[in-house]
Amino acid sequence: MQVGLKIWRFNSRSGERELQEFEIDAPEEATLLDCLDIVKDRHDGSLAYRKSCRMMICGSCGMRMDGAAVLACKVRMYDVAQEGRVPVISAMGNLPIVKDLVVDMDPFWDKFRSVDPYLQPGYQEPPDGREHLIRQERMNVIHKEALCINCGLCVSECNSMESDPRFVGPQALAKAMRFVGDPRDGQKLARLEKLNGEHGIWQCTRCYFCNERCPKGVDPRDAIAKLGAESIKEGIDRDMGAKHAKWFVTSAKTTGWLRETELVPKTQGVVAAIKQTKFALDLAVKGKVPPPFPPHVAKDVREARRLYDLTVRESSDRRGYDGIVQGEHALARLAHGHSGEETLEQIYDRPDAFHRPYLPDDAA
Amino acid sequence: MKKVAYYKGCLASLSAKELDFATQALAPKVGLELIELESVTCCGAGDIHEAEPDYYLHLNARILSYAAAEGVDTLLTVCNVCTLNLRQANFVLMGDSEVRARVNENLVSVGVPAYERDVDVRHLLWEIADGEGYELLKSAAHRGLKGLKVAPFYGCQILRPSKINGFEDPDQPWSLERIIEACGGEAIDYPAKIKCCGFPIIQAREETALGELIQPIEQAYEAGADAIVTPCPLCHLSLDAWQSKLKAATGRDFKMPILHLSQLVGVAAGVEEAELKFKRHVVSMKPVIEKLQI
Repeated sequence: MQVGLKIWRFNSRSGERELQEFEIDAPEEATLLDCLDIVKDRHDGSLAYRKSCRMMICGSCGMRMDGAAVLACKVRMYDVAQEGRVPVISAMGNLPIVKDLVVDMDPFWDKFRSVDPYLQPGYQEPPDGREHLIRQERMNVIHKEALCINCGLCVSECNSMESDPRFVGPQALAKAMRFVGDPRDGQKLARLEKLNGEHGIWQCTRCYFCNERCPKGVDPRDAIAKLGAESIKEGIDRDMGAKHAKWFVTSAKTTGWLRETELVPKTQGVVAAIKQTKFALDLAVKGKVPPPFPPHVAKDVREARRLYDLTVRESSDRRGYDGIVQGEHALARLAHGHSGEETLEQIYDRPDAFHRPYLPDDAA
Repeated sequence: MKKVAYYKGCLASLSAKELDFATQALAPKVGLELIELESVTCCGAGDIHEAEPDYYLHLNARILSYAAAEGVDTLLTVCNVCTLNLRQANFVLMGDSEVRARVNENLVSVGVPAYERDVDVRHLLWEIADGEGYELLKSAAHRGLKGLKVAPFYGCQILRPSKINGFEDPDQPWSLERIIEACGGEAIDYPAKIKCCGFPIIQAREETALGELIQPIEQAYEAGADAIVTPCPLCHLSLDAWQSKLKAATGRDFKMPILHLSQLVGVAAGVEEAELKFKRHVVSMKPVIEKLQI
């Protein structure tokens, strides 16, 4: 098939940029990475890009196609070629470009290192020398985060990091959750303290680009929410982001609706809120600062209060992130394209199904 | 008329009442009969999901349950954040019978009906961008927009995660453009239309948020837009109310009018200006009113 590509070339020494168009002949099963190989082999040997495994596990070939970060080895070009589209290929965002499609990953690795991405064991070895066993449910907590291959696609698109490059970012935070949730790790509280810093979890702007782009289903935004929930559960809630989140809980269980006017002093503190008086008055003139009294109370709000008692006060044995982990099973089914009520057996009975892999549970 | 349960959420009940007024006035013109839910609370806005996620699931199950109790198939939202929170909870509840059984047990114990029937959570945008709603919109939008140059701003949580929202391609959305054109406006294209407005962290990390907020406003301004339209009242609040802070931080005064989706369509459909409550906006709507001669 004929594949057209427009590739942004970049020379960091001269600062020159050029959009170069290539028309190549590629086999129908070719991926974007295969196409780049063909360009480099037969058309222009000076093209620079990273690659290694070619099978979506090393995370080297992150780049942008029509502005969206992708693993080049995961994108099949057949449909694009059939539609006659000529996609624009460029380097990932939020990282300095070294040459063409190659970015400098040093800032990425620095942030990755900053979350101490290694196990700091905090468990007792069984005295009789047996293995230290952990229940599957405890490891399910970090199943998604453990899938991260450090490709950087999430970082490339992070809207918060684009605005403030100091933000630790989705990849490092997802990895942080991988250790915070690991039952063998002994540094959970110290980790959470650090992650609650100025450029930690509460700087996430919830744009969900990370979840959208991740080629492995890690859902970094959800990992950040797990870290937030666990921090609050452990009483690490001094950050304005944590106070903001907690005020929604207070609002829901008292009046049912957000108590908007009190949100600023509850988040930023009274002194900071007073400094915002002029801004608040400008909004108040337009009716954008609803009076806190009498409160806008939802009908039957007693039910919402009682649900708070059941799910928070009377469930102190649950970990903070459990409330998110419990939904992952259903949401993963959604990602795999079926309704959710099918059993695994029914899915593997489909005419087009893959062969069922051996699962340790099968023996039980 | 299609009967739908109407969940207006916090902002349309409070600081963005103009969105509720416009939506209620517009609905019959696009074939929607709104049954406003009374016994509902905040969806948690992503914040309860992050602070007390199990409580978040129960609150949203309660909203879904009261929508199902109205006997309708659709729960209509007018806010991106409500849409994502409710859809996510719905998929969790419908996709995992064990979780649903536990949540239902708790709901029933506090006097809420169990949630058993799948209610489709849909944003007003989706109702009028396609199918019958779109056909009705085209005939309702008789007054037009007189070629008003409108920059569509989607906001995040109506596009992403696409596995939960799934209405349109999150990188090449078309719904707002289609509506703007059906209403007789000119849709302005600019890269930041699918990016974040910064609202979720506008209090906790204002500088970071302003760095995000300036992008759509600056780009729409430079592309010659008369106004920005958004389907999300949170985006509306940051784009509209925080423009004064952009001015203080950067010295640039864009004076960019920001419209709620219901207002834009409402204007084109001839809904009275009074019902649209333009005076409740922080940035003056005067240039838009003059251009539209309303």
